[in-house]
Amino acid sequence: MSHSEKAAIFNKDEAKVNWHDKALWFVREKRDTSAHKVKGWEELRNLASGIKANVLSNLDNYLIEFEANAQKNGIKVHWASNAEEHNKIVHKILAKHKAKKVVKSKSMLTEECHLNPYLENEGIEVIDTDLGERIVQLAKEPPSHIVLPAIHKTKEEVDELFQEHLGTTPSNGNPEYLTNEARKHLRDKFLKADAAITGVNFAVAETGGFVVCTNEGNADMGSHLAKVHIACMGIEKIIPKEEHLGVFLRLLARSSTGQPITTYSSHFNKPAEGREMHIVIVDNGRTEQLSREEFRSSLSCIRCGACMNTCPIYRRSGGHSYDATIPGPIGSILSPGMDMKKHSSLPFASTLCGSCSNVCPVKINIHEQLYAWRQVIVKEQKQPIIKKSILKITGAVLARPTLYSFMGKSVRFMLKYAPKFMIYSKLNAWGKARDLPEVKNGNFDQWYKNREKNG
Amino acid sequence: MGRQSILKSIKTNKPELVELQTIDANLFFEDIDLIETFKSNVKLVGGNIIELNQADLDVQIKELYPNVNKIVALDPSSKLGTISISKDTDPHSLETIDLAIIKGEFGVAENGSVWISEESFPIRVLPFITNDLVIVLSKKDLCENLHIAYQKIADRNRTFGLFLSGPSKTADIEQCLVIGAQGAMSLTIILV
Repeated sequence: MSHSEKAAIFNKDEAKVNWHDKALWFVREKRDTSAHKVKGWEELRNLASGIKANVLSNLDNYLIEFEANAQKNGIKVHWASNAEEHNKIVHKILAKHKAKKVVKSKSMLTEECHLNPYLENEGIEVIDTDLGERIVQLAKEPPSHIVLPAIHKTKEEVDELFQEHLGTTPSNGNPEYLTNEARKHLRDKFLKADAAITGVNFAVAETGGFVVCTNEGNADMGSHLAKVHIACMGIEKIIPKEEHLGVFLRLLARSSTGQPITTYSSHFNKPAEGREMHIVIVDNGRTEQLSREEFRSSLSCIRCGACMNTCPIYRRSGGHSYDATIPGPIGSILSPGMDMKKHSSLPFASTLCGSCSNVCPVKINIHEQLYAWRQVIVKEQKQPIIKKSILKITGAVLARPTLYSFMGKSVRFMLKYAPKFMIYSKLNAWGKARDLPEVKNGNFDQWYKNREKNG
Repeated sequence: MGRQSILKSIKTNKPELVELQTIDANLFFEDIDLIETFKSNVKLVGGNIIELNQADLDVQIKELYPNVNKIVALDPSSKLGTISISKDTDPHSLETIDLAIIKGEFGVAENGSVWISEESFPIRVLPFITNDLVIVLSKKDLCENLHIAYQKIADRNRTFGLFLSGPSKTADIEQCLVIGAQGAMSLTIILV
């Protein structure tokens, strides 16, 4: 199903769409307030963008440097070319430790690799420990937002899920009660876990250490209690020096939720005594994206979610309509590189308004890349016959001034005199949820000529 | 297999070297009142903050947390500890800790965070698993922003450390902010 077809399903519940739209716009406004308080915010964005450009141009050397430094500190480093290799490596580590219960903190990479079903198939219990992720895990759904995974769920829906799976009492969706019940449930999982899996926000070449950011404390609860900690990262998570964290951590949470910094920004450099720490470095299509000149800067993304919160299409269509691990504007320029056929409708799920690029903390030109993907996709993917013919006709009309003038007159005539059922018919998508403009006499051409005549 | 092919593929596909810029910390310098800015940001992120005299520390903590029994006190100026821990303590046994009192190394005014590290808590899970957390921080140890903070920790013994900003929190249920998710339910910073 295309994005627009899935979006139509999401739009059936108008009240929910309006709530979703407003809730995300509220987050966007918090981002603005927070960003405007920082002196030199634009310089920070420029710096971040520049550092990431340097990273992509020297990525192999930074990875080698990172590996050597991490190993010096007793961290075990693994490399995976694709999702399958990644899952096998993780499973092998778990099998070595006879780990049967695993707690996981948020990691879009493990979502991308479909690690959970792989491990579950091997008889291992995997519990997502971020509250939003636990909610969607219980609902057997993927996250619909990279920072707010359960933003598409109402509190009443969460209430019902928790009643069914955690045995809670009905609370009409009381967030405090439900959060506290989840806390108890997850505490038990943390204490019994054999191993912890986390993502990586930033990995520092210079030190071989890595940083994981959470608000809930779930990555730390998991990784410091279990005997084994496995951190999974895409190759693009590398930054050259530790001082660069100053730039990225100042930008990340402010762009994301409007907080000045996440509650926990944990710096892992060495395993604790008697513990094991592993890092799995994953390619899975990233080096291919690196080869695409127009699209490579999409790899600079630090996963803040600001482009989703601001996007008029995302806010009104919901994350699930993108049917991709990373939804929203950034997902729409990353996903076609992974599977062009499956994701061919995504670059069209945009008004090209450019708001995403304006809020991006690392200044990725997202809307320009969306436009560029469209050029690639119409050449390589079959387009729907209606879209093709309409564009052909439009092209022909625009190329012939007399035909254009005649068409304009006809449309104005129709809008004025044709019966409503004809104008607001299925053929006119623009008339679906809005009234078309009232037609005044004449057009710009006539007005201009009259003006000239009357001096 | 993976390593060689990934590195080779990057080498073939990467663009020409883009020079790495240096960070000019002066660009971000603001003449602010460190203590006032820090205090207002700690409140913004959901933490409590109190200024007091060193002599009153334990009295003050008792007043704030009157019903706690199991206390791990690692800040040398507090005598409230009822449980002692060492490198050999099983982290799981800290599950029932009511209150942990630890020393903060320095605070960051721009975001109300405090740098704490394994140097001041021998078991890494302590500041997360404890029900409530008190951080004792010297007023003199405040810096303006993260750029300066990273200069301050540049020469540390790198094991485990973090910037901690407020208590554990979540807004995952309909965007309603709830304090106390998986980590500590409250954070009090005591400026001495």
